Amino acid sequence: MVIVSIILIIIAIYLAAGFVFAVAFIVKGVTKIDEGAHGATWGFRLIIIPGTIVFWPFLLNKWIRASKTKEE
Amino acid sequence: MSASYAAVGWNRQKKIYDWLIAGFCTSYLVLFISLSLVFNEQVTFETLLIRSTSTLAVLLLHVILAIGPLCRLNKKFLPLLYNRRHLGVTMFTLSLVHGSFGIFQFHALGNINPILSLLTSNTNFNSLSAFPFQALGFLALVIFFLMAITSHDFWLHHLSPKVWKTLHMFVYLAYFLVVMHVMLGVIQYESNPVFVIIIFAGATTLVTLHLLSGIKERKTDNRQFALQQQGFVYVCGVKDIENSRAKIFCIDKERIAVYRHENKLFAVHNVCKHQGGPLGEGKILDGCITCPWHGYQYLPQNGQSPPPFREKVSTYDVKIVDNKVWLNPAASAEGTERPGAEIKD
Ligand code: HEM
Ligand code: FES
Repeated sequence: MVIVSIILIIIAIYLAAGFVFAVAFIVKGVTKIDEGAHGATWGFRLIIIPGTIVFWPFLLNKWIRASKTKEE
Repeated sequence: MSASYAAVGWNRQKKIYDWLIAGFCTSYLVLFISLSLVFNEQVTFETLLIRSTSTLAVLLLHVILAIGPLCRLNKKFLPLLYNRRHLGVTMFTLSLVHGSFGIFQFHALGNINPILSLLTSNTNFNSLSAFPFQALGFLALVIFFLMAITSHDFWLHHLSPKVWKTLHMFVYLAYFLVVMHVMLGVIQYESNPVFVIIIFAGATTLVTLHLLSGIKERKTDNRQFALQQQGFVYVCGVKDIENSRAKIFCIDKERIAVYRHENKLFAVHNVCKHQGGPLGEGKILDGCITCPWHGYQYLPQNGQSPPPFREKVSTYDVKIVDNKVWLNPAASAEGTERPGAEIKD
């Protein structure tokens, strides 16, 4: 019971962080990692929010790498 | 394909498809709820929602899983495949309503967190008649959730087709969990075996369809090509390939589609760059090989998607000698222009 509670709390924190990330990502990050997103609609940006909340560390990594290659 | 993203890539056929899904689901729910009210007046609103959405979701899940093998057995089913992801997202939404109301009705009234209660209130894991069947439904719902949130092509590109496909193969685990959720749940609160019989029949149908289509595919894949000359193998007669259509040949474990287009034959790799759809089961539309799954297009002579798209598939050499088609299974680099073979009759 305690273990399950702890796991649930960790998942909740992870998803909350994902939510914060998702806001920044759909406004700015998504166009950095994918040129297909440049002319993309707001509908598209909204529809990728749930996935972004779950897979955010992966997208963050892509975003960091994309901005590094630009600086070079 | 991959120009600029929109939320949903709707076109005429997809709109018709979606209206049919919506119409069917609404009729089902209305019919289910009215009939339940007629035959069982004490039933509560929550129970009605829980049961109507769950049975509809399971029905759709069977349709979704049957579409793949049906299309491999008969091309007439291909229109069903075209927008299967919307069927999937619909099924997830219905399961979500069912699951949420289930959690609400059975777990939200106490003072512990409903999800925690769902996972821990029943720990009879080694009892069949009191098994925590709701946890199985929850796990299936998590899988459907992950599939639904990654259903946009954006995720296919960024997670890579391989990871995406693996994630979506978990639908079979989810299906198994749903079957167990229903079986173990029903024996706890229902004496009527009709649910068990229906789900058993459904599972048997699905397994049979998958076996039949697997056997059929095996047959094409295991065909041996005896005649070989300078790297070319004899595959079929010119007349065996209809205009604007293809035949698929599996040579050295690679599937190759040989298309007939305007009195010429062209060969391309059979695997679509989008989600691996079978290009040879599509047809030529507007001068392009069109994937039967979601309509990605490739020019037959060079395997390239017409601009602004950038997908490319490998091409192969074909020749015709005495009305016999010979194919060279050595692939040219993706997008390489090939002359094709002219049909003289
Ligand atoms: C959080 C996830 C889920 C919970 C908490 C849950 C809960 C329940 C409960 C409490 C029942 C018995 C309802 C009754 O008294 O009539 C039930 C039945 C059933 N569930 Fe689920 N379920 C979940 C997920 C799913 C999923 C994902 C599916 C399939 C897509 C599904 C399909 C069914 C079916 C077909 C029945 C039998 C018909 C019915 O009584 O509704 N469930 N579930
Ligand atoms: S268009 Fe989707 S697999 Fe070919």
